[in-house]
Amino acid sequence: MVKESFTGIEKETLIEIRKLTRIYIMGEVRVPALNNVTFDIKRGEFAAIMGKSGSGKSTLLHQLGLLDVPTSGEIIIDGKNLLNLSESQKAKFRLERFGYVFQEYALLPELTALENVYLPAMALGRRKEEYVKNGTKVLEQVGLGKRLHHRPREMSGGEQQRVAIARALINKPDILFADEPTANLDSASSKQILELFQQLNRDIGLTILMVTHESEDRTYVGRMIWLKDGELAEQGT
Amino acid sequence: MLSNLNLSLFLAYKSITKGNKGTLVLTIFIMSLIFVNLVFTASIFLGLGNTVNNQVINTLYGNVALEPKTDEKYISDVYSLKQKINSVPGITGISAQYVTGAAFSYKDKSGAWAIRSINPDDEITVTTIHNFMIDGEYLSKLDSDEIILGKEIPGGYGGDLEHLSLGGVKVGDSINVLFNNGVSRSFRVKGVFDANFQQSNNIAYISQKEMESVLGLEDKASLILIKTRDLGNEDSYIKQFLELGIKEEIKPWTVYAAMVKNITASFDMIALLIAVIGLFVASVTIFIIIYVNTISKRRQIGILRAIGIEGSVIMHSYILQAMFYAISGTIIGLFIMFFILKPWFIIHPLKFPVGFVSLLIVPEKVMVNTISLIAAALAAGLIPSWMAVRETILEAIWGD
Repeated sequence: MVKESFTGIEKETLIEIRKLTRIYIMGEVRVPALNNVTFDIKRGEFAAIMGKSGSGKSTLLHQLGLLDVPTSGEIIIDGKNLLNLSESQKAKFRLERFGYVFQEYALLPELTALENVYLPAMALGRRKEEYVKNGTKVLEQVGLGKRLHHRPREMSGGEQQRVAIARALINKPDILFADEPTANLDSASSKQILELFQQLNRDIGLTILMVTHESEDRTYVGRMIWLKDGELAEQGT
Repeated sequence: MLSNLNLSLFLAYKSITKGNKGTLVLTIFIMSLIFVNLVFTASIFLGLGNTVNNQVINTLYGNVALEPKTDEKYISDVYSLKQKINSVPGITGISAQYVTGAAFSYKDKSGAWAIRSINPDDEITVTTIHNFMIDGEYLSKLDSDEIILGKEIPGGYGGDLEHLSLGGVKVGDSINVLFNNGVSRSFRVKGVFDANFQQSNNIAYISQKEMESVLGLEDKASLILIKTRDLGNEDSYIKQFLELGIKEEIKPWTVYAAMVKNITASFDMIALLIAVIGLFVASVTIFIIIYVNTISKRRQIGILRAIGIEGSVIMHSYILQAMFYAISGTIIGLFIMFFILKPWFIIHPLKFPVGFVSLLIVPEKVMVNTISLIAAALAAGLIPSWMAVRETILEAIWGD
């Protein structure tokens, strides 16, 4: 396990990204979205991937989250290149090790907040008492302890996004990927979500990698990764 | 594996119970109508065939009939033959008949019909003609110059072939009958029967004694009808008759109902065609419902797959929904068939020229229809759900 000193505290490397390249083929045109991107994510980091529209930040998140297949490069966790996994192994890996929050909350409208949250735990084959208990706990953690049995249509956008966050946390992931999680929210709700991320990062040491184009979001994160035209432009704290 | 099935069941259950109630009710209603259509069509045709078969057995030939040996005109030693037949367990009636053609005339009207002679006491143990008298009385053993007519013969009794009838013979009137051997006799019409079967209603009956005097024969017959206790075991009875040394031509009722076979084959073809169309409609209905469902939830499906829910779990949840629609439709359809339509048709049977027709619901056919509908639903649910999980996660979430 790679370990190095970061802001005075020794943190182990969680993800190694090596020469990641993604080229989209559109007819006869090759559109490079990512070009030889190399960096590491440390355990317990709260990092923001920033850049202008079209800089490749969402593309990078999709590759790291195993939602897309890069043209070349490596994504290494625990010494294993994840890109060698089969689709089914990737799905299992996503379920067990990753959490996702999208711009679209995409909750199932037929399910209550609690049911939406414990769905990934059910998929892991947990016992009912266990996933109901954990689902309740994680919803309380995101401040929705009194909204357990509400359906998505009965909740505000901010509340729905917090349910989506709770869903991402239920299986205790190693890393939470957030793709512009506040883009559809008003500023008050956005602030709540970012403070929640900050709190999760601080209190339980959750590693968070968030794509954002809001420059004011930088005040919440510990590290910024700037992309420009698909290449790593700058990193900083 | 089990957790995946649990999750599929959970997603399907929630989608059904918390989804649009109107769509759910309408879908199940359509499925039940399709199921009823499948079973009803087959059952009415089966009922029609069954009625014809029963008429052939109960009003014309019994379960098994004996005919003269090849090259002989009559069966001989009828008395001893009947005793032999009677020794076989399960025989409930025997009736020996002379069957001949004759020209009937009344006033200026005439026509040719079949005429059978019977011993009424024996005949009622085999056929049910005596139950269908619509005017006058049935023959009795001592009747010598009396005749009973099927309703097609006298005219004025609502026969299907009124134009060929004798034009209005009433009970008590006398008609002349010219037999094939040239003997002519006058008979008083004792009664008119309506067996609800055109073939049976074109026959007249006189007593055995009367016919023997016309033909100058004794202890002979052209046809011996045999009634058995059970239906469907004719071959076993025929085998026993052969073992007893009976040399006459022995025929089960199915030989005489051969004409029904062609009709039944045509009915089966029509029922199959209707079934195929019904199943196609069921498939298209389920396909559209599942397809619209997956399209409207495309992004959610993408997100579910992104968070690690396997595509097969999502696919199975939609297939389970399709199965639920089909199974619910089948259960309601079965209820409609057995508790509404079947009792209704027993009370109000359809009147056909072959008799009163009710539904004949055969469990094997119901099973085939049930399996077909569920299989059609399975296929119809599989295709759109497979299409939904076939695209990449990013395509599903952000679309084209």
